[in-house]
Amino acid sequence: MDTLVARYSRPAYQQENQFDDIEEYDYAADSVSGPSLKFAMPPVAHPSSWLRAATDDRSNPHCPIKIAHGTTTLAFRFQGGIIVATDSRATAGNWIASQTVKKVIEINSDLLGTMAGGAADCQYWLAWLGMQCRLHELRHKRRISVAAASKILANLVYQYKGMGLSMGTMCAGVTKEEGPALYYIDSDGTRLAGNLFCVGSGQTFAYGVLDAEYRYDLTVEEALELGSRSILAATHRDAYSGGFINLYHVKESGWEKHGFTDTNPVFWKTKLEKAEFSNVTSDFSEEV
Amino acid sequence: MPGFDFSNYNRNAALHARGVPLPKATSTGTTIVGCIYDGGVVIAADTRATSGPIVADKNCEKLHYISSNIWCAGAGTAADTEFTTSLISSQLELHSLSTGRKPRVVTCMTLLKQHLFRYQGHIGAYLVVAGVDPTGTHLFTVHAHGSTDKLPYVTMGSGSLAAMSVFETQWKAHLTQDEAVKLCADAIESGIWNDLGSGSNVDVAIITPEKTILKRNYIKPNERTQKLKSYVFPKGTTAVLNEKIIRKQDIGNFVTIHDLAEEAPAGGDKMEVDT
Amino acid sequence: MSSPFSINGGACVAMVGKDCVAIACDLRLGLQALTVSNNFPKIFQYGDNVFLGLTGLATDVNTVSDLFRWKVNMYRLREERQIAPRTFANLVSSSLYEKRFGPYFVSPVVAGLDPKTGRPFICGFDSIGCIDFAKDFIVSGTASEQLFGMCESLWEPDLDADALFETISQSLLNAVDRDALSGWGAHVYIIEKDKVTKRLLKGRQD
Repeated sequence: MDTLVARYSRPAYQQENQFDDIEEYDYAADSVSGPSLKFAMPPVAHPSSWLRAATDDRSNPHCPIKIAHGTTTLAFRFQGGIIVATDSRATAGNWIASQTVKKVIEINSDLLGTMAGGAADCQYWLAWLGMQCRLHELRHKRRISVAAASKILANLVYQYKGMGLSMGTMCAGVTKEEGPALYYIDSDGTRLAGNLFCVGSGQTFAYGVLDAEYRYDLTVEEALELGSRSILAATHRDAYSGGFINLYHVKESGWEKHGFTDTNPVFWKTKLEKAEFSNVTSDFSEEV
Repeated sequence: MPGFDFSNYNRNAALHARGVPLPKATSTGTTIVGCIYDGGVVIAADTRATSGPIVADKNCEKLHYISSNIWCAGAGTAADTEFTTSLISSQLELHSLSTGRKPRVVTCMTLLKQHLFRYQGHIGAYLVVAGVDPTGTHLFTVHAHGSTDKLPYVTMGSGSLAAMSVFETQWKAHLTQDEAVKLCADAIESGIWNDLGSGSNVDVAIITPEKTILKRNYIKPNERTQKLKSYVFPKGTTAVLNEKIIRKQDIGNFVTIHDLAEEAPAGGDKMEVDT
Repeated sequence: MSSPFSINGGACVAMVGKDCVAIACDLRLGLQALTVSNNFPKIFQYGDNVFLGLTGLATDVNTVSDLFRWKVNMYRLREERQIAPRTFANLVSSSLYEKRFGPYFVSPVVAGLDPKTGRPFICGFDSIGCIDFAKDFIVSGTASEQLFGMCESLWEPDLDADALFETISQSLLNAVDRDALSGWGAHVYIIEKDKVTKRLLKGRQD
C-alpha cells in the first residue's frame, strides 16, 4: 500500500524509473504482443516539456508538429441504452486533413469509446484498452464492467499526466449489473460518470441542442435523431467539426451502428423540411 | 499628404507585442544581375515572386523604368522595389525637366541611397542601377540600408551566389553586346535552376547611348506543357440558390454621366487633357 | 495569438475568361473556430465592371472597402467618369503602400473589364500594395493554397462565360471544403461587356 501511495503522491514524470515501474503493473506484466507500454524517449533533458513545445499548439502556436485536433463527440444515456454520435473532421491547423475520420472506437462488441484531442493518443490507448478488456474476460470468465474498463484507462492516462497526452474520451456500454453506463475520461485524469456528455471544440453547440431536447425516457428513434441533430448543429457553427455524422446505439446485447451520414444532405433536408437553420438563406444580402 | 501614413502603426505594434506575426509581404526572392560591356550595360532578372513558400507570381517584372536611359533591377520586398523606383523615377524626371539635362545614373543612385538610408533598412529594396548618361556607362548596386557599390559586373538577391559564380568563371574585359547579354542570361538561369527563390523566365534590358532595348521573357526555360485533357465542367454542375443579372443599361444607380462630346458645348472651353 | 489574416477566415478568387472575368468569394465570418455569420460577402463593386475582393481581418475589410468607396466617389466627381479597373488597381496599390509601416491586414483582388478595350483585367495585392498582374487567376484568403491547387489544374485559356462560371465555382467550392475557416456558401460574379451576373452558390454548411 505504501508503495502505491508513494506512486501517486507526486506527478508521474518526476518519478525516476517510471517506465520500469509501469512494467510491474499487473495488467501490463503479461508478455503479449500488441500495444506496448514501452516508449522510446527523445534523448533530451526533459522529454515531456520538449514534446509539449514541439506538439502542443495551444502553448506554442508555432509548434513544428501539428497534431490533429478539433472534434464534436457526444454520448447520452436514455431508457433504451446509450446513443453515441460524432462528427468526422480532422484538422491540422486550419487545414482539413480528413472528412472521414472514425471517431467512434469499437473497443469490443459491447464497449464503445469516442475520440477527441490527439487522434493517435485516442486510437492507441483505446486499442490498448480493448486488449485489457479481453484479458479481463479471459482471466475472470465474464465481461468487464464499464466502470472497470474506464478506470483502467483513467489510471493509465494519469500515469502520463503532464507529459503531453491529449485525449477527451467517453466510454459507453450496457451491462446487466450497471445498466447503461457512461463515463467521461480525459488526459488530465478526470473520470466522471454521467447521463450526458459532449466533448471537443464543438461541445458547446452540441450541448445547446442536446440539453434543450434531452429526456431520459426518449424513444430509440427520438434519441437517434437528437444525437444526429446535435452533431449537425455543432458542425454548422464550429469550424473544426464537420464531415459525416457517425451514429451508434449501445444496448445490452452490444452496440449497433446507425450509419455514417454526410452532413450536407442532412443539413439541407433539416433546413427545408423543418425550417430550421433560418440563418442560411437563398437571398442576396444587400451590400454592407 | 505625401509620404507614409503611420495611422495603423500603433495598433499593429500593439498586436505584434502580443505575439501577432507581421504580415507576409510578397518578396522577390530573386536573382538580378548587371554587366558593363564595351558600348553599354546589360541588366537581367528572373521573374518569380514569392510569398513564403508559395510562388505568388510566375511572371512578374523586376526590371523597373527610371528614365529612358536608366533602368533598375529590384530584389527584396516587391512593393518596396516597385514604389522606391517609381518615386525616384518621378523625382529624376522633375529634376531633368528643371535642369534641361538628361538624368545621370549617379544622381539616380544618390537619390536612391539617400532615400533608403533615411529609412534605415526598413524599406527592403535591394537594387541594381544601370544606365548610360553623358558621363559614360554606369552600373551600381544599392542595398536597403543605403550602401552602394560600383563594379563592372554585379549580382543581387537570393540567387546572387549562383549568378556570381557564373560571372566569376566566365566574365572577361571588353565583352561585346551579345556576349554580355549571353553572360547575364546565363547568370540568371543559374539562379533560376540553383536558387529556390528564383525561377520562371529571364528578362533582359540592354542600355546603350542610343536606346534601351527591353527584352521581356528573353528566355523561357520553364514553359508549362499543355494539358492533354480539359477539365471544363458541363453547364449546370454547380448548384445555384439564387441569380441576379444586372444589365449595363440598368446600372446608372451611381452617378449619371453625360459624354461632353455629344452635347453642345455650353460656352466655356474644354479642359485640356493629356493624351 | 494567431495571425490577423486567419482570425476571421475567408477566401476569394478571380479568373480571366474569353471577353469576360469572374470573381468569387465565400460568405463566412468567424471568430477563430466559431462561425459568427454565414452572410459576409467579401466582394465590393466600384463601377459598372470594377470589382474588389477583400479577405483578411474583417474589421479591415470593412474599413478598406469603405475607404475605397469614398476614394472612388471622389474620383468620379473630380473626373466625371467611371474609374477603370487598371486605374483602380493603382489606387488600391498606392493606398496600401501609404500604410507601408502600419498596413491593413487584407489581401485584395481586383477584377473587371477595361472600359475602352473590353479586355479582361485581374490583379492581386499583398497587404502593402505590391501588385500581382496575372493573365490567368488570382487567389487570396485562408484557403489560398487550396485555391492555387484548384485553379492551376482547372483553369484554361479562353473559357466562355458559362464555362468560366463552372470553373471558378468548382475551384472555390472544393478549395473551401478543405479549409476550416472558409466556406458556408459563396457569391460568384460573372462580368461581361453588357451584363454582370451574380449568383449565390449552394455550398456545404459545415
